[in-house]
Amino acid sequence: MKRFWRHFKSRNQERQELYKEGRFFNMLESFQWPWHVPFGEFALKLDSLSLIFLTAVTILVLCAGVYAVGYMRQYRTTKSMGLHIFFYFLLSTALVLIVLANNVILFLGAWEMMSISTYFLIVFNDEKSSVRRAGFLYLIMSHCGTFLLILMFFLMAHNAGSMNFEIISHSSFPVAFAGSILLLAIIGFGIKAGFVPVHIWLPHAHPAAPTHISAILSGVAIKMGIYGICRVLWIIGVLPDWCGYLILIIGVVCGLMGVLYALGQHELKKLLAYHSIENIGIISLGLGVGLLGQSHHMPFLSVLGFGGALLHVLNHAIFKGLLFMGAGCVIQRTHTSDMDLMGGLARTMPLVSILFLVGALAICGLPLFNGFISEFIIYFGLFQGLFHLPLQGAFTCAVGIISLALMGALALACFTKVYGTVFLGEPRHLQEPPSTGKISLLMIIPMLVLGGLCLWIGLFPQIMANAAFQGGAYLSHTDLASLPMGTIFYPLSLVISGVFLFFALVLALVGIRRKLLQGHAQPVRETWGCGFFQMTPKIQYTSSSFALLIVDFVKGILFFRREGGDVKGKFPAKTSMSSSVHDASEEFLFKPLFARLTSFSKKLDMNRIRYTQIYLMYIFLYLIFLLVWKLK
Amino acid sequence: MNIIFLILSHWLIVLTLSPLFLGIISKVKAFFAGKKGPSFFQPYFDLQRLFQKNSVYSRTTTWIFCAAPIINLAAVLVLSALVPLGTFKAPVKFSGDILLAAYILGFARFFMISAALDTGSSFEGMGASREAFFSCLSELALFMNFITLSFVSHSISLSAMIGANFPLSWTLMGPVLLLVVGSFFIVILTENARIPIDDPDTHLELTMIHEVMILDHSGVDLGYMLYAAAIKFFVFASIMVPIIVPVQSGNTAWDMLIFLGGMLVLSVTVGIIESTMARLRLNRVNNLLLIAFALAFFGFVVKMWRM
Repeated sequence: MKRFWRHFKSRNQERQELYKEGRFFNMLESFQWPWHVPFGEFALKLDSLSLIFLTAVTILVLCAGVYAVGYMRQYRTTKSMGLHIFFYFLLSTALVLIVLANNVILFLGAWEMMSISTYFLIVFNDEKSSVRRAGFLYLIMSHCGTFLLILMFFLMAHNAGSMNFEIISHSSFPVAFAGSILLLAIIGFGIKAGFVPVHIWLPHAHPAAPTHISAILSGVAIKMGIYGICRVLWIIGVLPDWCGYLILIIGVVCGLMGVLYALGQHELKKLLAYHSIENIGIISLGLGVGLLGQSHHMPFLSVLGFGGALLHVLNHAIFKGLLFMGAGCVIQRTHTSDMDLMGGLARTMPLVSILFLVGALAICGLPLFNGFISEFIIYFGLFQGLFHLPLQGAFTCAVGIISLALMGALALACFTKVYGTVFLGEPRHLQEPPSTGKISLLMIIPMLVLGGLCLWIGLFPQIMANAAFQGGAYLSHTDLASLPMGTIFYPLSLVISGVFLFFALVLALVGIRRKLLQGHAQPVRETWGCGFFQMTPKIQYTSSSFALLIVDFVKGILFFRREGGDVKGKFPAKTSMSSSVHDASEEFLFKPLFARLTSFSKKLDMNRIRYTQIYLMYIFLYLIFLLVWKLK
Repeated sequence: MNIIFLILSHWLIVLTLSPLFLGIISKVKAFFAGKKGPSFFQPYFDLQRLFQKNSVYSRTTTWIFCAAPIINLAAVLVLSALVPLGTFKAPVKFSGDILLAAYILGFARFFMISAALDTGSSFEGMGASREAFFSCLSELALFMNFITLSFVSHSISLSAMIGANFPLSWTLMGPVLLLVVGSFFIVILTENARIPIDDPDTHLELTMIHEVMILDHSGVDLGYMLYAAAIKFFVFASIMVPIIVPVQSGNTAWDMLIFLGGMLVLSVTVGIIESTMARLRLNRVNNLLLIAFALAFFGFVVKMWRM
């Protein structure tokens, strides 16, 4: 421990010197410790790529931890917290280890640590069968992913003859081999990241977990999939041309499907979970642009794409954490997560409503907040690709721009729906909620921090954008100093001044309005109902009816189910209607697949021998076989 | 200091001229209906009247309801600073300003829709739902136009894409520009809530979009909304006119006259369309918007073909 501390201290001094020289982000920091695991070494390395992810992990783990102290108070009398806290810290350690690991064995070990501790955190409310099912699905899916990852890493390590990432990255890979490695990585890490169609665990696990865990899951745990893909891209270096197109198209599909599924949901946390898939799509769109730049030898384009993607990783962690925490407050207050029963919460919880609004504006990529900055960079990269890439690349970039614009518009529709039905209007639930859960200050403070960060990156993006571009340059093996970075920083600064102009205008208009209204009475009346009064709040648009036009328009892609609601006879009796959007990849791909697997394993089960003694004999025989083999 | 002066003078032009074109449209409509119609300056009188009145608020509403008109007006003013007006160059121009333009409009839209939902009225909810849907499609068409134009002009700045700096004229890029103009015209009609997408005159029938969203706004708030609508039309038209008439005589007065003439013709055309067409059935509107997208997309394909 002492050695570790001394090491740390000397490193710290070095770092401060480097920071003074302005080379902090270029610095490679590594750390080694003896570790008695075959092929393993306890090798950690902090580079510009892991720095971005480490920042996201640190911010969110700290904020969610503070939030949890307030949030878990409601369970204090009914449940024991020890196990939960233990796994929370285990998860935090695992997340940090994953981004710092410089060795295959260490990485995979940390990866498993993350998967298993997340499972125990998800099933906190294990008295509900839906929670147990969601946790089980998560466990199975993530282990399927790990299986592919072990295969991929061992193939790479075998090719390079070492388990150290640094050394593997120096060896060269045949092009076809590199392509198949990337495919394995896309599926293996994609399960964790939530790529469509292997995302199905995600919309179940997020609502099942306690809120701070959902925030971590959505904010950083699924980003570990993105980190893994980035790390593999960095290790392989030279990839075949089609990889860029593939990742870009995956991004488009994920983004659009994610936001469309989100529009169809009326359960708050499930909706946010689907939005994570959308944002993973935006991130992979950026990665795709970066790869296109790399394969066409345009380092500026690849830095733009990778840098935008990395900045969006950080931004999404911040605003998604904020949104989940806001949703947690809402659910604690209303004791339901069905948005169709909520309404008018802006008046009873004003601070939470403003913070949620910040998150909603940020996730829609609107100016003033951080989502806009990363989307701006990705757009900029896509436009550069449109101008400078050959025909098929230009066309793909145009598809990317259009889908990013559509994602933005659909996200706007989705979050006006959320904000409008949850916080505005009248409560749709006629009777009072059973008890008004108190929102403790410990839940508000982390939200304030995250909201402040949204605003800070949105208005002063230079530091974070620079860090992200450093990461992007590191990822594409180029030197940032040789690139015309002014081409992006200049528009970025002007966009920010445009935003400030907007802000100044808003202030001026508020002043004019106040002046104009001076001396006038401002009567408060009912909402105008076209001559009708005393209408029931149930007549308001709900989240489902708000989204119906869009859902109906794309019902060819979504799996939209509607039951009841028909009016029968001249004097129709009381009737009920329910509508829901189901996940097509779950219904059409995985349910049949799992059913087939179950029937197959049932068949195997028929042939099973039902005596324990025979199994014991098998073990005994195997031991003898091993002994004989060793003797020889 | 200089830039602030430029922006302020730009806004002065926008603020003084924009309501006039709404007056022209309603005059044309009155002419087609065989009526004398209100004066050209009626929109100015309306604004003046609204700014003098007080506002009535609903019990249900929160601060979002008051913020929406302010944010809407501020957003269109920021947008107008990015657009060149005839010989007056845009005071703010940089590579990527179309993104600021599109997203600042998105910002305003977020608050407009939220304000409509804030009233808790099912009318306004209906309008909000429609606005959210149609704006997705019109954003699609708008961005496709931007892509095609930026592909033609190799720039992502509005000022370079249109007007004075347009490197190629109709002789070279005729088909592409024709498709873009057709598509952009539909976008103008949608974004400004005109017939055949929306009816700017009535809100009581259940078919309307924009007008029903501002049903509960009154007084200064409504004035801000109407002013924002006038400016939005003015700005969109002044993006379109230089694409159609890329004439540069070099004489400032002539150029300004050509620009204003183009704006006049465009408003009269909108007026004629409003007088001669009926509003489209709601489930047809999305087809029209997809046509706009397709037109711009074919423009892009034609440009690629010729590369």
